[in-house]
Amino acid sequence: MAVWIDEQGTIVRPAESAGIERSPLRDMEVPDGLPERIDRMFREVKKIPDDAENYRAAIVDWVEHGAASSFVLSPDEVVSRSLPRGDDEARAAACFELGEYLRRTAATPVLGQAAAVPWWREAHRLYPSNWTYKRQAWTLVTTPEGATENDLMQGPNDVYEGNWLDDVIAGGGGEAYTVVARL
Amino acid sequence: MILQTLDALDPEVFAERTGWHAKPEGMCSGEVCVPAPGALRADSTLDVALAARHLGMPVIHDETHGVWAIGPATTNGHALTTAVAADPVLATRDGQLFRLSSLLGRKVLLVAWSSY
Repeated sequence: MAVWIDEQGTIVRPAESAGIERSPLRDMEVPDGLPERIDRMFREVKKIPDDAENYRAAIVDWVEHGAASSFVLSPDEVVSRSLPRGDDEARAAACFELGEYLRRTAATPVLGQAAAVPWWREAHRLYPSNWTYKRQAWTLVTTPEGATENDLMQGPNDVYEGNWLDDVIAGGGGEAYTVVARL
Repeated sequence: MILQTLDALDPEVFAERTGWHAKPEGMCSGEVCVPAPGALRADSTLDVALAARHLGMPVIHDETHGVWAIGPATTNGHALTTAVAADPVLATRDGQLFRLSSLLGRKVLLVAWSSY
């Protein structure tokens, strides 16, 4: 996600998907013989839209032309293009923040996780298309204790209803995973 | 915004954490003001529940842990009500405080990424 802010402190592009380098995951060869679930995950990842080259060019254009850049939006456009936020989305934000706070401040990690889960489940229910709320919660239950890296598979678990692969497929597949910035 | 109580809150704290400033004309963010009669008390503290109601901010309570979470405003159906950038104070990697407005006069590309 990126936000563009001009020299006067005015947002000229609201939060949007942003990349400046095409992910190698889009062009990877999926090797034969992978476990079915991993194979399916890789194939969905390859379908995720990637417009990094155009987005990088837009940034460069803004740097060179400033307010005259065709990628600069008016204040009204900035507001109208910002993410939808109704009562459910706002409640989900509060629930997610509350869960994060409880997890961070609990006496022990186990207590923190137990306190956070109900609020994060509620955030998922209220705002099912928000990947941040879901992936952050999933990875905390699917990453093995002591692991040095987060579990990016975020597979089925007994704490939350969803998981990465099944939710991606249910949401329309990798093609629908990211909303490409409207340049 | 996480609070331990909904009792009187310093309006400056509310503004720092939500971007909404209590002014005589109402609760204001950038050029947008929402009438909020009664939110700013005579003793100059803020009635958080009332301010939240005027701004369409959900108020979530965890009774077990005695904390409240105030969600973002929903005054216009969008995440932003104004194109005026917020001015958060963030911690740098070496623990120093950094205010976004310190970059006024320069273009800013604010990038966020996920840790999961």
